[in-house]
Amino acid sequence: MIQKENSKSVITPIRACCLESISIGDFIYISGFIYTGRDSVLPKIVSLIEDGKLEEYGINLEGAVIFHTAVSPAGVGPTSSNKYDIESTIPALSAAGVKLHLGKGELSKETIEALAKYNSIYAVIPPVTALLNRITLSKKIVAFPELGMEAFHLLEVQNYPAIIAIAHGKSIYDHEEQK
Amino acid sequence: MRNKNDIVDKVKECLIKAASTFSDDKKEVYRQAIERETVKTAKWVLETTLNNAMVAEQNRSPLCDDSGIPHLFLEIGPNQSVDGELFSFIKQGVAEGLRELPGRPMAIKGDDTQRIDQSGGLDFDPGALLSAPILLKPTEEDVLRLHMLMHGGGPEIRAKTFRIFHRHKVSVVTEEIIEWAVEASGKLGCSPVTLAIGIGRSHFEATSLMLEAMAFGNYTIQNEIEKEITNRLNKSNIGPLGLGGDTTALGTFLKVGPQRASGVRIVSMRPCCGIEPRKASVEL
Repeated sequence: MIQKENSKSVITPIRACCLESISIGDFIYISGFIYTGRDSVLPKIVSLIEDGKLEEYGINLEGAVIFHTAVSPAGVGPTSSNKYDIESTIPALSAAGVKLHLGKGELSKETIEALAKYNSIYAVIPPVTALLNRITLSKKIVAFPELGMEAFHLLEVQNYPAIIAIAHGKSIYDHEEQK
Repeated sequence: MRNKNDIVDKVKECLIKAASTFSDDKKEVYRQAIERETVKTAKWVLETTLNNAMVAEQNRSPLCDDSGIPHLFLEIGPNQSVDGELFSFIKQGVAEGLRELPGRPMAIKGDDTQRIDQSGGLDFDPGALLSAPILLKPTEEDVLRLHMLMHGGGPEIRAKTFRIFHRHKVSVVTEEIIEWAVEASGKLGCSPVTLAIGIGRSHFEATSLMLEAMAFGNYTIQNEIEKEITNRLNKSNIGPLGLGGDTTALGTFLKVGPQRASGVRIVSMRPCCGIEPRKASVEL
């Protein structure tokens, strides 16, 4: 993996104060345990939050990272975070403690505002499955195993590379604002 | 008399190569883009993507975890024949390729309604993933050549097949394609794109031509329309992953088919993501 100079290390679980110094465009390297979920499972996780059943599954979202990916023998890689079933869960997951959503693609103004409201951020990761396989240390299913590759997984990762795309109400996709 | 094992093995290897390898012209276009790119974030994304391709090729492993839906295009020479036996061998080769790669197990089980709402669950066998219908085309060259393309889901969300009223000007058509492409590339999230475009008389024909454009497209051979579309897209500042930069598009692959005597052209456009087109070909 090509390491960037002047990058920041992010260790999970993320403390709220760590986000204060992070800005859009920053390179980060994420290490620790991160959850994964995408179209099928994330709405189910939101339902668990609403029903107060997260603990029954041993899920703790305080300071968590959720990577929008499947987990399969093919590896991991970001899916489009702006798909309805994924983007619509970001406000509720942020309110429940998720500090970093990891995926790809532009998000709506409403989601940017929700991320700011709950002091959460969004980062993008290149679809570099062959490289990510080398720095994915372990993986296990946490909930909804019947969903196969779309089940809620927990990965242990070391130096996952990402770029901060949305933080503190600002989006890197607003190219006019960047000029 | 066909040799079953030989054909199955060739198809299997073709699929693995398509899903794990950048073609030489794609590697070169990446190197050129890295050299030109002036935005540091964009340059890093391009470098990392090319590095990923080198590792995937070495490991014979997927370039992307969305290993794609196999799309097959078969060229048939004048003295070649195809029959049900050949297609069964090809089907077996695809399944074996998906298992060995391994491809992502993403075949949806169940009846019509279960396959639509995904309530029937997934088949955990990567080889259960069926290919799209095989496109057949006669060729003057006396070969039986199979092209394998692996289509990821992201570009499918942003692809578009629609009519354009050309008003007897090529520029009217290209301007509308560029408008579609800018919107699609901005939302794709895994640019730089390669635009695959087919222009035909019907939606089926336009989409078939788009697939053919992907199969035969080469970054080092670009006509004036292709260059124009690529250059215009690169002025959008969408950049790699949509994060801004000089490299929104690596190239354009255009195939123009027969046209109808009419004021309308049917255009199919697929914004292939930064690792696509994933393709390989083999003579059977």
